[in-house]
Amino acid sequence: MERNKTKEQTSKEKATPKKQESQTGQRQAEAPMEHTAQSMEVNGLNAYYGGFKAITDIGMKIAPNKVTALIGPSGCGKSTFIRTLNRMHEVARGGRVEGEVLLDGEDIYGKNVDPVQVRRKIGMVFQKPNPFPTMTIYDNVVAGLKLQKRHKKGELDDIVEGSLRQSALWDEVKNKLNDSGMSLSGGQQQRLCIARTLAVEPEVILLDEPASALDPMSTMKIEDAMLELKKRYTIVIVTHNMQQASRASDYTGFFFIEDMGEPGQLWEFAETEKIFTRPERKETEDYVTGRFG
Amino acid sequence: MARETFQEELDELVGEVLELGEEVHGTLSEMVSAMESHDGSIAGREVGVDHRFKARGQEIDREVLLLQARQAPVAKDLRLLYSVMSLANHMVRSGTLGEHIYHGLVETDGHERDEDLDEALVEMAKTARNIFRQGLDIFRSRDIDGARSLQATDDKVDLLYSEALNLIANPSESGVGTPEWRMRAALTVHYLERIADHGVDIGGLTVFLTTGERIEDAMQQYMDREVRDDTRE
Repeated sequence: MERNKTKEQTSKEKATPKKQESQTGQRQAEAPMEHTAQSMEVNGLNAYYGGFKAITDIGMKIAPNKVTALIGPSGCGKSTFIRTLNRMHEVARGGRVEGEVLLDGEDIYGKNVDPVQVRRKIGMVFQKPNPFPTMTIYDNVVAGLKLQKRHKKGELDDIVEGSLRQSALWDEVKNKLNDSGMSLSGGQQQRLCIARTLAVEPEVILLDEPASALDPMSTMKIEDAMLELKKRYTIVIVTHNMQQASRASDYTGFFFIEDMGEPGQLWEFAETEKIFTRPERKETEDYVTGRFG
Repeated sequence: MARETFQEELDELVGEVLELGEEVHGTLSEMVSAMESHDGSIAGREVGVDHRFKARGQEIDREVLLLQARQAPVAKDLRLLYSVMSLANHMVRSGTLGEHIYHGLVETDGHERDEDLDEALVEMAKTARNIFRQGLDIFRSRDIDGARSLQATDDKVDLLYSEALNLIANPSESGVGTPEWRMRAALTVHYLERIADHGVDIGGLTVFLTTGERIEDAMQQYMDREVRDDTRE
């Protein structure tokens, strides 16, 4: 990871939103700047729960500054796979991985790599919004930062505003930053969790069914936020919503299990347009057209 | 299989569009008969059919839109709905062109004709009708090879088109026909060429529906492969 430090620092310096004085004298965060995020590459990946092999021989290139959607029927290994991308899988009982997952060319499972640092660079947002219930909106956003190092109050203010703007929540909460995170609606809580992930300045954001528990309007806000976020981050999303995958992603991977008890496989991976208009394999076609799954 | 109702609706829609195609083919066959027999009464009976075709085309469009809104189709379902809308458009347009020809036949009934040109028109009308028929059959049977062959058949229509234009520019010595008939003949040549094109496009949609590729791209790949094979030999 060390060898990328200089490049990363340079790019992040460019990317960090800066404050400027508005005509009314109020400070405002600039719109998020574009930034070339890091790519990922997965080679020969197997993941296990104890003796059970959940996914087998996965190979995938995850393009920078693109949204990659993972689709497939329940139990085919999508969530297992996305958790291997930031070493969350090994937290599960019996969780074990073979193969390599490269972030900008470096294996995140390498000997001297710290999993905590990996999870900072590759953030994750879960299906159910999980703001810290006893914290304010402000404290929820900076929760991850407080674990890293001390920041000046002014710095934290900037990060909170920038993160909330990027997650498209700022306008809705700017006047109640000291309210509890739990006072927000489900959709707002999910965007708060995205803001919390952004605050630590990751390279990649993993979203595991982030809108499955949300109403259509909140879902659209998450999708709109993703379109903005991919200008700065690499995004991977697991979704059961075919329309969401076709609307919001650039690449789509279809996971499939040939027989019950078998491990999940990456059955087809291509540009989203191709998967949803002329997929190569029959199983992909049957799944996206709703013939099974 | 999941989505059985949706599948039934799709099947029904394809049935409806093929039925429309059969009706249009029927009217094109009557057109050929009227041109061959110089019987204005046949043409007179068919005048006005395009209102029915247009109404059915609109109904099919409406059903496609409803299915798109309700079922959010993708992949082959999306291609099928797009194909059905395109098919309906090609069919309605063919029917309307047939209607234009009927009007001409009625208006020039009993007029003196240029026999050579008249013969060329009948030949062209038969070819256009046959291509339309083939297009329908190809789509019904999802015959990709047939669609490619039909694309090549279009050359025959282009030849007949050039021949007819040549006859229009160079009247035969036996008689040029009345000015009204000659003007109508020139328009008919154009209409027939368009009907044949619609027939080819109907067949070509089979390629898009089945493979997701445009027939023009598929033909280009086919030709490139031929060239490569020839070069290798």
